[in-house]
Amino acid sequence: MAPQAGFETEQVKDKARKDLLHLLEGVRGKKTLVIEEKLGGPLGVIVKASTLRDYGVEKIFFLENKNTDTSQRNVVFIARGESAHNANAIADQITRLQREAQSPHEFHIFWVPRRTLLSDKVLEEAGVLGDTNVAELPLYFFPLDKDVLSLELDDSFRDLYLAKDPTPVYLTARALMGIQQKHGLFPRIIGKGDNAKRVSDLLLRMRQELLAGEDVGEMDKVGLSPSNTIESVIIIDREVDFVTPLLTQLTYEGLIDEVFGIQNNQTEVDTTIVGAPPQPGKDSASAAAPASSGQTRKRKIQLDGSDKIFEQLRDTNLVVVGGLLNKIARRLQSDYESRHTSKTTAELREFVQKLPGYQAEQQSLKIHTGLAEEIIKHTGTENFNKLLEVQQNLAAGADPSSQFDAIEELIARDTPLPQVLRLLCVYSCISGGIKTKELDYFRRLIIHGYGYQHLLTLHNLERLQMFLPRSSPLASMIPMTGSVGATGNKTNYTYLRKQLRLIVDEVNEQDPNDIAYVYSGYAPLSIRLVQCILQKQYLLSITRGNGVTNASASAGGGAQGWRGFDDAVKHARGQTFDEVQKGEDKAVKARALLSGGGEQKTVFVVFVGGISFTEIAALRFIANKEEARRKIVICTTSIISGNRMMEAAMEKESFEKRAPASQARNSTAETTS
Amino acid sequence: MDVAHPTVGWEQLGERFYRKIQLYTQVFDQDLDLDNYIVVGAPYSGAIALYRDEDKLVAFQPTKAFKPSIDIYSCAGNPIRSIPWDKGSIKGLGWSEDEKLLIVTADGIVRCYTDLQGEFTQFSLGNGSEESNVKSCKFYDHGLVALLNNNSLISVSSYDEPRPKLLAAPPQGQVHSWSLIPPAYALSRSVEVLLSINQTIYVFDASECVDQYLDIGPFTHICVSPNGKFVGLYTKTGRAHVITSDFQSPLSEHDSKSKIPPKYFEWCGNDAVVIAWEDEVHLVGPGGAVTKFYYDSGRVHLLPDYDGVRIIANDTCDFLQKVPSVIEEVFRLGADSPASILLDAVEQLEMQSPKADYNIQLIRPHLVEAVDTCVNAAGQEFSVHWQKQLLRAASFGKSVLDIYNSDDFVDMCETLRVLNAVRYYKIGLPLSYEQYQRLSPSNLISRLLNRHEYLLALRIAGYLRLPTDKIYVHWATAKVRHSAEDDDTICRKIVEKLSGKPGISFEAIARAAFDEGSGRLATELLNHEPRAGRQVPLLLSMEEDELALDKAIESGDTDLVYFVLHQLRRKFPLTTFFRVINSRPIATALVEAAARDGDGEGHEDTAMLKDLYYQDDRRLDGASVFIREALRQPESRTAGDKLALASKLLMDNTKENAFELGALKEAAVLLRMQEAFERDLGDTYTGLSVNQTMFKLIRQGEHGRAKKIQGEFKVPEKVAWWIRLQALVASRNWHEIEDIAKQRKSPIGWEPFYNQTLQAGNQRLAATFIPKCTGLEPGQTMTMYEKCGMRTKAAEEAVKMKDAETWSRLLEAAGRNTAEGREIERIGLAVFRR
Repeated sequence: MAPQAGFETEQVKDKARKDLLHLLEGVRGKKTLVIEEKLGGPLGVIVKASTLRDYGVEKIFFLENKNTDTSQRNVVFIARGESAHNANAIADQITRLQREAQSPHEFHIFWVPRRTLLSDKVLEEAGVLGDTNVAELPLYFFPLDKDVLSLELDDSFRDLYLAKDPTPVYLTARALMGIQQKHGLFPRIIGKGDNAKRVSDLLLRMRQELLAGEDVGEMDKVGLSPSNTIESVIIIDREVDFVTPLLTQLTYEGLIDEVFGIQNNQTEVDTTIVGAPPQPGKDSASAAAPASSGQTRKRKIQLDGSDKIFEQLRDTNLVVVGGLLNKIARRLQSDYESRHTSKTTAELREFVQKLPGYQAEQQSLKIHTGLAEEIIKHTGTENFNKLLEVQQNLAAGADPSSQFDAIEELIARDTPLPQVLRLLCVYSCISGGIKTKELDYFRRLIIHGYGYQHLLTLHNLERLQMFLPRSSPLASMIPMTGSVGATGNKTNYTYLRKQLRLIVDEVNEQDPNDIAYVYSGYAPLSIRLVQCILQKQYLLSITRGNGVTNASASAGGGAQGWRGFDDAVKHARGQTFDEVQKGEDKAVKARALLSGGGEQKTVFVVFVGGISFTEIAALRFIANKEEARRKIVICTTSIISGNRMMEAAMEKESFEKRAPASQARNSTAETTS
Repeated sequence: MDVAHPTVGWEQLGERFYRKIQLYTQVFDQDLDLDNYIVVGAPYSGAIALYRDEDKLVAFQPTKAFKPSIDIYSCAGNPIRSIPWDKGSIKGLGWSEDEKLLIVTADGIVRCYTDLQGEFTQFSLGNGSEESNVKSCKFYDHGLVALLNNNSLISVSSYDEPRPKLLAAPPQGQVHSWSLIPPAYALSRSVEVLLSINQTIYVFDASECVDQYLDIGPFTHICVSPNGKFVGLYTKTGRAHVITSDFQSPLSEHDSKSKIPPKYFEWCGNDAVVIAWEDEVHLVGPGGAVTKFYYDSGRVHLLPDYDGVRIIANDTCDFLQKVPSVIEEVFRLGADSPASILLDAVEQLEMQSPKADYNIQLIRPHLVEAVDTCVNAAGQEFSVHWQKQLLRAASFGKSVLDIYNSDDFVDMCETLRVLNAVRYYKIGLPLSYEQYQRLSPSNLISRLLNRHEYLLALRIAGYLRLPTDKIYVHWATAKVRHSAEDDDTICRKIVEKLSGKPGISFEAIARAAFDEGSGRLATELLNHEPRAGRQVPLLLSMEEDELALDKAIESGDTDLVYFVLHQLRRKFPLTTFFRVINSRPIATALVEAAARDGDGEGHEDTAMLKDLYYQDDRRLDGASVFIREALRQPESRTAGDKLALASKLLMDNTKENAFELGALKEAAVLLRMQEAFERDLGDTYTGLSVNQTMFKLIRQGEHGRAKKIQGEFKVPEKVAWWIRLQALVASRNWHEIEDIAKQRKSPIGWEPFYNQTLQAGNQRLAATFIPKCTGLEPGQTMTMYEKCGMRTKAAEEAVKMKDAETWSRLLEAAGRNTAEGREIERIGLAVFRR
């Protein structure tokens, strides 16, 4: 058998682009593209608008806007196939276009990532299935960066934990299955949390079904024997650790997300902060979004690894960003000055060749200085610091009731609701629910402060188990003492804080020695769990000081899976699992022996329910330390932040006198911010 | 030697040779008059369909009842199946690449016989075919184009999901003949049609119609070469033209000197065209070279294939093709190629002649090439004797070589074994090597399955290491359909044979059983299906609804669950539907999620949700629906009504829902109060929260009303103070703030007052709060004063703190010569005397 190629996210990107362009090529002539709004950004990650134009795309519309015109004979819809309302919307537009148009149209639908029975049924019932050419565009993972793959399911958090809709779990499993089929089985599937367990079960099941489904000859069994380039896959359910993303992110990229918001690697910032784009055409024209930025004073900024300066800054703590920017500015300056020293024409030519690079860097430096200034301005406010103080006190295990007054004051001062809710949720999660009396008091404060519609918000948060009374049946199993007792129903932060050393007092932001730097002293639990698997030695060395000795017994270098931390892991919520996928033929073992253990293998870290930028930064920190042995690829259902989690629960409407719904939404945003 | 030399039957055509290979003899009964039949053959030496030509008169034979039928034969003339036909006049009969038989009737009905056994699907061409009727049809790999009597062209590009599409509107006029370029070879990647109208040719695709401006027409025949690059045209006057398919460069011309229009005008490979009359076949090559064949047994039919033409007559089935270059290299008379010498060497070896070694030495430098050629030539050879001879030569040659990669040799041996097996007359698939490569082994196996040749299919699959699951499933399906045994026996037999085999789709077998009307057998078979998801659609059609739902949930695929729920929702009354989903949390969650989504525009399916929550006794969730409805009300009054409904739902359990009930009541009260304010004060208040209402009232100076709100809603004192402070600062009501400052105590301390007023820019007022602040850190007062611009005060504090450093800094900042500076100096001198 040919050696299996290692995994590169670039392959995913290439394949996605090829698939899309191939389908577009199949539609003859010029065409109108109609995309689901939520897919616009992700598609922009894989293909540039100019490329689409080369493939005959004349105009791009958003499906939700319902303004598709009849200018082109070919109309191509691209939407996610999982939900019925996309199919409904497409059916509506097709009937509308058929009614309005003088000449006949050709309709094509590319379902992402797969054609579903449900959408077929809906189209059939609307009577348009016969008029459309239906194809599948199997885009599961969108490569956000060279080490990050995301399904970009914006609603995955709400779907999974509020609506209890397991679609994201299924899609994750399908996406991972795709990787397995190409690169071989994950030799080990380890994970924590109920949804993670579900993904793992589905993977095993799909493998069985694949075995049952096709009697592939002996020729290509790549997909069915363990890979020798992949070490394992680690699946973590967001539910295991809600607290981490609820805390304010303190890395540069994390703060950009907190302050401006990042969508599909892009953030929109006021031009007064970062300056106007250099030239309208030159601006990262990647978004497949329609060019509508005529009057808006916002500028879209691409944030990914292709920007060298951003690459340096993104995962550092904000504290050091200023210094780094300074250093970069000086380096650029001196590089640029080097032109005076170049004597020969050859040297000069060399310099001129580098010139475009300098200009790009200059540009990017200007942007990031602007961004950093704005962020520092934000973090300097009284409000921010008060919030941060309360958060950190709670995370560090201070008596929650001591923070009572501070929270009350924040509400009285009309701090943005998501921020307040984040605090309360941290409070509830860490202390395992809130005393009924306090809870009622907080709830009153919230609905008085922000409106009675938030009765619904509070109800949603309770269903999410993020903000609930201690007396609630959901909270009753929470072990409150540090003792080893009932386990597995709720994450016991009090216990884990000690066991896994979540609080590191002496953090060095300049030259970090532990992942705790990302929160200036709090090490994300989710990532500590990953360390339990990947960095046993290190984790033992830092936890031993806490008098926790039960783990050290089996901490031999060869220990795999959760070994050594079984006890600690039991105190986190959800099921724990560790599956080994063995191949059927003995040849695998031989091959594994032959290939030796020396080379770098890939570890997939999968976050079901979303991952925050700080956690990504922490994982990259681990990846750097482990570089010699492993490559870490991060997979997730979406990028998440505390604000996005709160938005999933928040009721958007208010009692305001009804103008169109959108206006109402704007005004609530105003009143809360 | 009793085996004819391969060159027997070669004909020279220009510089190249063509060969006619007799594949089978005694193909059809002598009394079958082929002349009366339309004969079409599937590509890649597939089956042949015969249908009586409706235009021909037939002698009435009283002994034979005449029943129209379409008869399918193998190339060797073995009958495969006869399909009785009573659906009216057939206007198109053809095959797809995967051996589906297509029948198009005059009124535009297309029947697609998916296997050779009579299973079919049917669809209509539509687009006006019912009114103007189909005139004729042309077929390609997996699609067809139909020409209507009004010259409209309808294209179908897939039989799995047929979407008949009208091509560009054609000009009027009589269509003399027509043809098409398959999408795979057309520049536009969609099918292109060539129509001969008047003197010229029109080329069509989906959107446009291009006149090629020819003036040599009209053409009675048009044919497109298999690779789509060339077009053959045959004029009324008996001239044949070959031209590139873009109609730019004419390539050759030939005058058949015949007044009678030929029956066939087809390509033979990509280099020559064949013209056939009743019993005469002309082969026209490049540059107009011609060779002729005569058949004395009567009428011949041509079945064009990718690399040649099959010629069918009653007593023979021949294959006419260009002699492959490797064969020519080896066998051409007087050939002196290394391969030919190698072949000679092995013959010498058999005769134990030393010349064998001499030959080898002669070609030593080219031996690898010679071996390769022999291997390839073996593939192209139909005679088993010569195949063996060539392989022997190759084997001999490679034994002499030190290093030779034998993979090709081994592959070829395998391939030839397969080819010879399927060429056997009882199977009747005379594939050429080229055709086999294009068809692919797995498609060959499905062809065998269509012929129910299970054993051979299994052997070949095993031999070539191909999947066998489809073979077993096909066998079992056929068994279910045709077996006369009782259900239990069938099931037992199938399970016995198939258990333990990977990849068996019991679902497919079960579906076959269900379609045959045997539900019980279907259920039993379905139990053996390992893939839960696969069972769902069948279970649904078997009305095993709850089982289907369970299996869908088990599969983890939410699409399946949604699909089942969608079906059930349509089928059952609501109560039954709820009963089904209640015990299944995932199903309930998905129903809820879908109802919340509603039509995707924020209109949730509230009726459904209310019913669902009510019957499930989920009061809080039910109340939420009402609250959301309340939020959507345009007026406060109706919103209040909805809130009341929400409260009513929670009334049953006042203790547990005390908080919610209280809040709902308050919400209604607030709405009423806000309405009153709006009436009295003429400003909008609705939509604001309690705190925001207070804020706005204070800002407007309505302190009394604000107090009323605070009392009504029991706003905590601290919160109220904060609101008051912020509102007063926002309205720059310094006077009021000063009044407050006169009070002795503030529940929020005085620091916020200092901060807020300072931020609002009133330094003077801010300073008045500094002395009132308690619990400050030592030295903080200095900075506080300093921020207010009161350096003197700050200096006083510094003196109190004995902080010389700050004092001198303040002094510097003020400047020694200003009044302020002197004052500072004066205060400090007493303490910090140097």
